[in-house]
Amino acid sequence: MTTKIAIRMTVNARSCEGSVEARKTLADFLREDLGLTGTHLGCEHGVCGACTVLVDGEAVRACLMLAVQADGAEVTTVEGLAKNDALHPIQEAFWESHSFQCGFCTPGFVMTTLALLRENPNPNEEEICEALSGNLCRCTGYESIVAGVRRAAEKSGAR
Amino acid sequence: MTVGISERMVGARVKRSEDPRLLTGRGRYVDDVHLPGMLHAAFLRSPLAHARITRIDASAARELPGVVAVYTGADMRAWVAPATSGGKAFGLGVPGYKVPPFRVIADEKVRFVGDPVAIVVAESRAVAEDACERIDVEYDPLPPVVTAERALDAASPAVFDEIGSNVAFQMQYTFGDVDGVFAAADRTIRETFRQHRHQNVPMEGRGSVASYDPAKKVLTIHSATQGVFSVQRIVAPLLGLEPESVHVLAGDVGGSFGLKIGGSREEVAVCAASKQLGRPVKWVEDRNENLTAAGQAREETVEIEAAVTSDGMVLGFKVKLLQDQGSYPAMIMPAAGVTFGMMQFLPGPYRLGALSFEATSVTTNKCQYVAYRGPWAVETWVRERMLDVIARELGMDPIELRRKNLAVRGEPPTHMVTGLSLAGITSRESLDRAVALVDYAGFRERQRKAREEGRFLGIGFATYIEAAPGPRSKGGPPAFGAQDARLRLEPDGRVTVFTMQQPHGQGHETTLAQIAADEMGVPFEQVTVVYGDTKTTPFGMGTGGSRSATLAGGAVLHGARALKRKALAFAGALIETKPEDLEIRAGRVFVRDAPERSISLAEVAAAAASGRPANLPADVDRNLEVVHHYDGGGGGWSGGTHCCLVEVDIETGCVRIDRYVVIEDCGVVINPAVVDGQIRGGVAQGIGAVLLERSAYDEDGQYLSGSLMDYLLPTTTDVPPIEIEH
Repeated sequence: MTTKIAIRMTVNARSCEGSVEARKTLADFLREDLGLTGTHLGCEHGVCGACTVLVDGEAVRACLMLAVQADGAEVTTVEGLAKNDALHPIQEAFWESHSFQCGFCTPGFVMTTLALLRENPNPNEEEICEALSGNLCRCTGYESIVAGVRRAAEKSGAR
Repeated sequence: MTVGISERMVGARVKRSEDPRLLTGRGRYVDDVHLPGMLHAAFLRSPLAHARITRIDASAARELPGVVAVYTGADMRAWVAPATSGGKAFGLGVPGYKVPPFRVIADEKVRFVGDPVAIVVAESRAVAEDACERIDVEYDPLPPVVTAERALDAASPAVFDEIGSNVAFQMQYTFGDVDGVFAAADRTIRETFRQHRHQNVPMEGRGSVASYDPAKKVLTIHSATQGVFSVQRIVAPLLGLEPESVHVLAGDVGGSFGLKIGGSREEVAVCAASKQLGRPVKWVEDRNENLTAAGQAREETVEIEAAVTSDGMVLGFKVKLLQDQGSYPAMIMPAAGVTFGMMQFLPGPYRLGALSFEATSVTTNKCQYVAYRGPWAVETWVRERMLDVIARELGMDPIELRRKNLAVRGEPPTHMVTGLSLAGITSRESLDRAVALVDYAGFRERQRKAREEGRFLGIGFATYIEAAPGPRSKGGPPAFGAQDARLRLEPDGRVTVFTMQQPHGQGHETTLAQIAADEMGVPFEQVTVVYGDTKTTPFGMGTGGSRSATLAGGAVLHGARALKRKALAFAGALIETKPEDLEIRAGRVFVRDAPERSISLAEVAAAAASGRPANLPADVDRNLEVVHHYDGGGGGWSGGTHCCLVEVDIETGCVRIDRYVVIEDCGVVINPAVVDGQIRGGVAQGIGAVLLERSAYDEDGQYLSGSLMDYLLPTTTDVPPIEIEH
């Protein structure tokens, strides 16, 4: 049936290859072909941000990018942050801040925060809200997430 | 976290046990379940609100490579019994509610935009969706019944031919001397309140992976649900299976807010497909399916006529409620069922002396009405709004009016006019605290000055009580009934708690473990909470209705005490000491007056499990497991007062929330961070409901809010800081 295209990319510092239909999204490739189910699909039309990953350092919505477009790229997913069971400072900060409830939107917020803090290590409240405004959470009302980002910035600054 | 010997877990902001896996992407939601040989399902859905299906041709779809099966309503008719509301297993049947036997896949008629008309099972979801496009359906359109008013019009066609009318349910109750108080009233005041349709929208939609084993004749279902037994009790009878042959499992669930409290027609169809094919079938809805077909809520019109005295006593209400239940009855908790809660709780913490309550639920060509976070909560909104309307009509201050009418703890009336005990309420205290915290007098002054400048400031209060678990009704158990917890001391000294709760964000793995740790005297890390498995957890409806902390918490608390007694009895036999001289701290059993003599719980449990030493008396009980049944004791209320301060731009209608204050009394707080998270999340959903969200239909019944660009959820920039006091 449909032609498959060979692709190769670096995901969480490991070289991965696959053979995919052109229409397959990066999110589906990560989840189905690589078994990286931490990237969640909340809307599949680019609104909710649950599928946010880093592609060559930029936060992208993995549901709006085709896997073939990521050919040759360096991709970081939520699974790529904790090292040897030690949580990443952002994950630590969110844990301490009780930032999340059901956890479904969580990977997207973690990745968006990672991109934010790389660009702006010390964001103010307004900048945090602005940066997170493209990620939806239905459980928390966001205050705990914003507090988590603030704490993450403090932790990263302290390092 | 290190735990000191005497440090109590209950009341502490204990970091959640769930979070390390959720933060690292290692949660296991239903879409993460992948079984060998698994197929994928997609549904073809009706583009019309109301129509007869005259022909379906699925041959082109069946020919598509990768397609394994296409089943229409006619196919399913042979294998799936007609569905009912399914609440009987949990005592949730609604007397007088006309439930048409309905099909999980529409066969003769479609009844809303999104009604499933065929299920395609294929090697991938993409191929299944491709195949849906190749199914040719001919419809004969019928006039759509899109509003409750149209449903009541006798000239409208019946959505369910079997019922013959669109009135699904009617009830009328009278409490107190309604005629008397209306005759005695200085005046009567009327208002009509309309609540628009909106919906749950959990970030994870519905989904199931069904896997039928033809050899064992067992159906295993991995479900995104609020309760594994609900799924079991819905699916089993429809597929002609015994409940014990349906094994339901649930892992992490990505939010629900009432949506996943029962089972869905799609889930039953997926199970039927797996049973037919003898292979695992996965269906995870996309956001369009979720918004269009999963369930919508809250659509009610409430007319209230109040009998009042000129000095502001509210003597009684006459209430007429009209509820638009959409098309198919929701399984387990249909719309009509929640009207009883609306009625019972409507007086809230007020002295209201008489109430007549009439409810009508009508069927329309819209998505089914489902439970949504406090499904009866319209009672609070209309009551509090009505008090504001009355105050305005009488020229009284709305706070003064509330104070006059609030019931006070320890003074008559001790019961709502609907019969529920008001014992222990702290409503008056919460209102007073909210008034003080927002500097009400100061606000009125600021409001007056702003008005002179052409700016419009507003303030609103709502005082409520929440049945968590609710007062014990006369001679009966609290609503939704009691529940069991099973606790086991494992041979390694760990404690396992089995609960029928199905957390989907509430953090029960943490909070129930906090309770068990304190009661058993073991470190928090040594408690494991098991849920989401019909084979191992106690029977029950699952999580919903504000019952986890009180009922599951109570069951675990008393269960842990019972387990501790058993462990101490065995330890006493083991070290030849009277059990009453023993205590457990930090996972060790100590002789109270000789703390140098101790033995670890692990040693105790290992001895019990191994049958050693053999020289213990024969009647020593080595079974270190208990099942504790908890009925909620005397029951009681949570409650509080919310206050919101806004500025409205009357040119644009734009509302800015300047301040939001919550004074809340939920009793003993198990984990403050969890409680505050629940409160903030609830307020955010309320803000969304009022300012952003609407499940919109056009006059043909076409659904207009099918994406998150059309159905707006609050974002970080919409929710103000929420101030909470307990």
